[in-house]
Amino acid sequence: MKWFKSNNWSLALLPAFLFTFCLVVYGLFMAAQESVTTLNGFSLDAYKNIFDNEAFLESLTYSLRIAFVSTVLSLVLGLLLTKFLFETLNNHLARTVVWLPMLFPHFVWGYMMILLFSQTGWFSTMLHAMSIIDSPDQFPVLTNDRYGIGIILTYTLKEIPFVVLMLLPVYAQLNRDLPNVVMTLGGNKWHVFKTVEWPWLFPVLMEAGLIVFAFILAAFEVPYLLGTTYPKMVSVLAYEWFYQGDWSKRPESFAVMMTVTAIIFGLLIILLSLVSRSRYRMMKGNGM
Amino acid sequence: MKTRLLALSLIIVLLIAAGCSNTNLNNSDNAGEELKEKDWSDITELAEGSKVRIFMWGGDEGINRYMDEWVAPNLKEAHNIELERVPMDTNEILQKLSTEKRANKEEGTIDIIWINGENFKNAKEFELLYGPFSEKLPNYQNYVDTESLDVQYDFGTEVEGLEAPWGKVQFVFQYDEEKIPTPPANFEELKDWIKENPGKFTYPDANDFTGNAFLRHVLYDAVGGPEKLLENGYDEKVLANHADALWSYLREIQPSLWRNGETYPATLTDLDRLYSQGEVWMTMGYNEARAESLIKDGIFPESTKSFVLDSGSIGNTHFLAIPFNSPNKAGAMVAIDFLMSPDAQLAKYESTYWGENMALDPTKLPEDAQEKLANMDRGASVLSPEKLSESLLPEVDAEYVNWLKEHWVNEVVQKQ
Repeated sequence: MKWFKSNNWSLALLPAFLFTFCLVVYGLFMAAQESVTTLNGFSLDAYKNIFDNEAFLESLTYSLRIAFVSTVLSLVLGLLLTKFLFETLNNHLARTVVWLPMLFPHFVWGYMMILLFSQTGWFSTMLHAMSIIDSPDQFPVLTNDRYGIGIILTYTLKEIPFVVLMLLPVYAQLNRDLPNVVMTLGGNKWHVFKTVEWPWLFPVLMEAGLIVFAFILAAFEVPYLLGTTYPKMVSVLAYEWFYQGDWSKRPESFAVMMTVTAIIFGLLIILLSLVSRSRYRMMKGNGM
Repeated sequence: MKTRLLALSLIIVLLIAAGCSNTNLNNSDNAGEELKEKDWSDITELAEGSKVRIFMWGGDEGINRYMDEWVAPNLKEAHNIELERVPMDTNEILQKLSTEKRANKEEGTIDIIWINGENFKNAKEFELLYGPFSEKLPNYQNYVDTESLDVQYDFGTEVEGLEAPWGKVQFVFQYDEEKIPTPPANFEELKDWIKENPGKFTYPDANDFTGNAFLRHVLYDAVGGPEKLLENGYDEKVLANHADALWSYLREIQPSLWRNGETYPATLTDLDRLYSQGEVWMTMGYNEARAESLIKDGIFPESTKSFVLDSGSIGNTHFLAIPFNSPNKAGAMVAIDFLMSPDAQLAKYESTYWGENMALDPTKLPEDAQEKLANMDRGASVLSPEKLSESLLPEVDAEYVNWLKEHWVNEVVQKQ
């Protein structure tokens, strides 16, 4: 019982741990199992097939590109918003306005994009009515487009408030005297940002970035609504293979999702090593 | 304090363990077997006062209104059965059932499913359905042409009493009469029309039910009629000989499609939206009267009319089935029988709600129902029954559906 006495916090964690285990690990295990099970027993054919499949490879690069661009955009815009509006955001009303997009489900937001930005959408009709464009066809293709502009736009707008939510506490806890120290020593605003704010922001930004990236990479509803016929984002492709008529592509569908999981897991490990190094440096006090 | 914490954790762990495991000790399977022996009057009595849950595709307003506004109240009045409609895509319903089957869950939540084609094939192969039951239904015995092939076979799969026919539909194109004075009469003219009006036509993705049906029409045309496809069931040789004609037609129209064929609507709902906003001038669908309720609701323009090509239009029968683990099989059978009654079928035929064709044989109907049927006006957008029946083409083996799904992206979308 001595172990329990010194580690009773671990007991309190047990339910949470079991919950995660039951749902996530078990689900992951089942998916992995399904991806290597065929009618003839164990086989890695599903993985071989998908990496030989051009449709999958294009879909993977397409998804990675969309996830990367949306993540970077929402991080940068979220950071700028927090940095310059930090004082205003102390106000409840201002904060509500910024966080408003979080209230809408992604699907509703995606549908709104279609109503606003499609070629017969609100903006196009308005421009047409004002005779800026001659016909609705001249309005740029922003939804169901080849480059995923609609998807990127949707996710960027949706994730900025999340980034702000993550960054606000950092700014709230920053030492207000440190900028003055930098200024006294002859530094400018850039130096303040680089030496005072960045070391605190970096780990939080990275964490927020990973969450957003993982979310977008594996997202389904918005790409289904706003994506193109080819290439499709990975989740849409996996869904399609999963529900295909004779159910024979199911192992491949699971293999696709396992690949996505592996990518996210790999990024998580890279991120942890990066952040822990920066935290270590912060502790040492040279702040770079 | 510590003991309390320990006890609390233990309770939670036990709860989770209970949730994870699956202990089902009941005998609904036996009850289902007993039901097959019972008389119809006993079954009706059993169903009295129960609740039936029908899981069905919920993407059409007219269909949903028919179920909620006509069927539910009338079924309640006739048999005191409460009907709950749950909208869900059929492949997801089957997924749910197959998961339940694997987990040995003997009591599910679904009593009736609306099913057809490859979904039925999957469900039959994986033994997800209860039955045979359709022979027991009085309305099936009395009014259905039980000998006809479209009742005995569903996309090439033998029905064997596992599902009861619910309706018949035929594929038609819808167009705006003000924009297109004379619609194309065959695929050659359709191609010319598409080229003359770039961006005004498209069809849904091959994975969509309607999109796939359009592709099957093109396939029929490329092969030279459905007879060759019907002869030996699924035949790779026929495809090998004629696939080029199919793909080259589709590739030829692709640059003139909506968005230059760079993308296709993912579902029929998307295509309907494009049509209602005037982005494209034609839409299509597997129901000869579907435009009526959409016009009435102001979604489609008043000038919407429909047409079929000279080479014909594919028609099929769709069915209702009972899952293997339905908790209320007696109620399900009574509800299905009710849905097949002349009254329910006639209300379905009316364009106010759904407007689709009956599963019953019109010549077998009682006289007053026949009279009602003859006097019914299905609306200006619906083609005459003569035109529809003369252009009716049969549906082919479900394997062709899968073949199109698998090859369409590689052969058409990727090659531009």
